[in-house]
Amino acid sequence: MVSLRRNKNSEKNMRRGASQWAVAWRRFKRHKSGLFGLGMVIVLLAIAALNSVIAPYPARPAPDAFKPLYEGEAAQPPSWKHPFGTTVMGTDVYSEVIHGTVYTVYVAVAVTLITMLIAISVGIVSGFMGRYVDEALMRLTEIFLVFPSLLFILVFARLYQLRNPDPFWNILGINVPAGLTMIVIILSVFSWASYARVIRGEVLRMKETEYIQAAKALGANSRWIMLRHIFPNTLSQVIVLGTLTMATAVLLEAAVSFLGFGDPNTITWGRLMEEGLQDLSTVWWVEMFPGLAVFLSVLAFNLVGDGLSDALNPRLRE
Amino acid sequence: MGFGKYIARRAIYMVPLIIGISIVAFLVMYAAGDPIQLATAGNPSITEAQRNALREYYGLNDPIPMQYVRWLDHFVHGDFGKSLYGGRPVNEIISTLFWETIKLQLVAISLSFIIALPAGIYSALKQRSATDYTVTSIAIFGISAPVFWMGITMILIFSFQLGWFPSAGAHGAPTLWTVFGIKNDTLDELIHLVLPGEVLTLASVAYDVRLLRAGMLDVLRQDYIMAARASGISERKVLYKYALKNAITPLITLLGISIGSMIAGAPITETVFSWPGLGRAYVAATLRLDFPLIMGITMIITIMILIANLVTDLSYAWIDPRITIE
Repeated sequence: MVSLRRNKNSEKNMRRGASQWAVAWRRFKRHKSGLFGLGMVIVLLAIAALNSVIAPYPARPAPDAFKPLYEGEAAQPPSWKHPFGTTVMGTDVYSEVIHGTVYTVYVAVAVTLITMLIAISVGIVSGFMGRYVDEALMRLTEIFLVFPSLLFILVFARLYQLRNPDPFWNILGINVPAGLTMIVIILSVFSWASYARVIRGEVLRMKETEYIQAAKALGANSRWIMLRHIFPNTLSQVIVLGTLTMATAVLLEAAVSFLGFGDPNTITWGRLMEEGLQDLSTVWWVEMFPGLAVFLSVLAFNLVGDGLSDALNPRLRE
Repeated sequence: MGFGKYIARRAIYMVPLIIGISIVAFLVMYAAGDPIQLATAGNPSITEAQRNALREYYGLNDPIPMQYVRWLDHFVHGDFGKSLYGGRPVNEIISTLFWETIKLQLVAISLSFIIALPAGIYSALKQRSATDYTVTSIAIFGISAPVFWMGITMILIFSFQLGWFPSAGAHGAPTLWTVFGIKNDTLDELIHLVLPGEVLTLASVAYDVRLLRAGMLDVLRQDYIMAARASGISERKVLYKYALKNAITPLITLLGISIGSMIAGAPITETVFSWPGLGRAYVAATLRLDFPLIMGITMIITIMILIANLVTDLSYAWIDPRITIE
C-alpha cells in the first residue's frame, strides 16, 4: 500500500482514468501566474456583468452621464468623488472605464470565436483533405499572412465609419453597437491566417496516427473523421491560441480606436484615450486610467494563455 | 536548385501576389467613399461643378477598372501619382518620410536585439531560475502594455514633467533643443529619437525575448542535445557548442519579421510622437482618404515584407545545411 502512495498524481491519474482535461486542469492549478490571470479575468467579467450597478454615472449618451459638468466639475483631477477624474466634456472617467469593460469583453470573445472558427475550418479541411484543396487554401492563407494587416484594418474601419449607418443593431433584443461589430469582423478576418497554419500542422501529424487510420479502415467518411476525431484533438491547441487571440484583439481594438478609426457611438477604452489626447497636458488622467485598464485586461488574458500553454503542452505532459 | 534560379522563381511568384493585394486595396479604397466630397465638406462656397472639375482633374470620374489599369501602368513605371492634398508627388512624400521611419526603426530593432538576445538565451539556459522568472515576467508585462499608453506615459513623465526630452517631431527646427547647454544639429536629432526609440524598443524587446527563449528551449529539448549529454560531454560544451549554434534559426526568423514589418509596425508610435514618418502619414492619409498616398505606402510595405520573407528563407538555406531550397 505504501508504495502505491508514493506518487499522489499518478495514483489520481489511474483512479480517474486521467482524462486529458483533468490532467491539464491539475497542471494549470499549479501555475501560479496562470491562476492569478484567471482571477483577473473573472474580476473583469464580474465588472462587465455588473457595470450599471458599480458605475456611479450612466453611460453616454444618457444626459446624466454629463452630471459632473453641470456641477461645475469638468476636467477635474482624481478625487474621492471621481476616482479617475473627469473629462473636459464633464463625464466621470471611472464610470466610463467601468462601462467600457462590456465592450472589451465583447471584442475579446467575439473576435476569438470568429477567428478560431475560420482558423479551425481552414486548418482541418486543408490538412485533412490535402492535395489541391490544401494547395488552394494555403495560397489564400499566405495572402492573408503577407497583407500589412494593421493598415488594411485602418482602411476598412474608416470605410465603415464614413458610411454612417445605424449606430446599433437589434439582435435578439440586445442593442449591439454596429461600428464596433464591424471592427470585430475586420479584426477577425485579418487574424486567422497564422492560426490556420498551426492547426493544419497539427492535423497533418494526426492524420498519420493509428486511430485515424483505424477510423478510415472502418469506413468512416471524411466529414465524420474531421468532426469526431480530428476536431476534438485540436481543441487543446485551439484553447491556447484562442486565449492569446483575446489579448491581441483587445490590444488591436484599443489601438484602432485610439488612432481615430473607432466606432463613434461606443465609448471603448481606446476611444476614451483618443478623446483625451488633445488635452494631454491638462487632463493626463483621461489617458492613464483607460490605458491601465487595457493593460490589465490584456495581461490577464496573456497570463491565462501562458498558463494554459504550459498545462496543455504535450511535450511536458505527466 | 541554384540560388539564382530560386530567387528568380520566387520573384515571379511575387508578381501575382503584389497585383492581388493592390487590387484588393484599390477596391476597398473606392468602396470607402468620395475623397473630393470629404476634402471639400468644410467649404460652404464650393459648387457641385467645381467639385466635378476636381474629380475630373484627378481622374476619379473614370470607371474603376480603367483607373486601376492607369494606376498599375504608373506603378510599373515607378510613379505613384500625386497626393489629393496639396498635389505633391507621392514618390517625393514617401522618399522624405522613408528615412525618418527607417532611422527610428533601426534604432529600436538594434537596441531590442542587444537586450533580447542575451536575456532570451540566458533565460532559456537557466529555465526556472530566478533570472528566468524575472525576465519572463517583465516580458509578459511588455507584451501586454499598449504601445500608445507607454508612449503617453513617457511623454507625461520625461517631457511634460521633467522636461528632459522633446515630446514630438524628429527635428527641433527652427529652435534646436538644448542638450547640456549646447545647440547642435546632430545632438538635436539624437535627443528627438530618445522617447519614440525607447517606446518602440520596449514594445518589441518583450516579443523578441519570448520568441528567442521559446526557440532556445525548443533546441534544448532536441534528441541530439540529449545524446550529447548522455555521452558525457560537459554541460558547458553541450550548451555553447551544440545548443547555441542551432538557436540561430529562431534568430533569423525574428530578424526577418522585424525588418519586414519595419515600416508597417510604426503607425501608433509615430502618431503618438508626431514623428514625420510613413506610419503617421498612412494614418493621416487613411483618415482623409488620400487614395494615391494610401496605395503608395501600402505597396511599399507589401514589397518590403515580401523581400524580407525571401531573404529570410534564403538565409535559412545558407546557414542551416539541413534546410534545402526547392
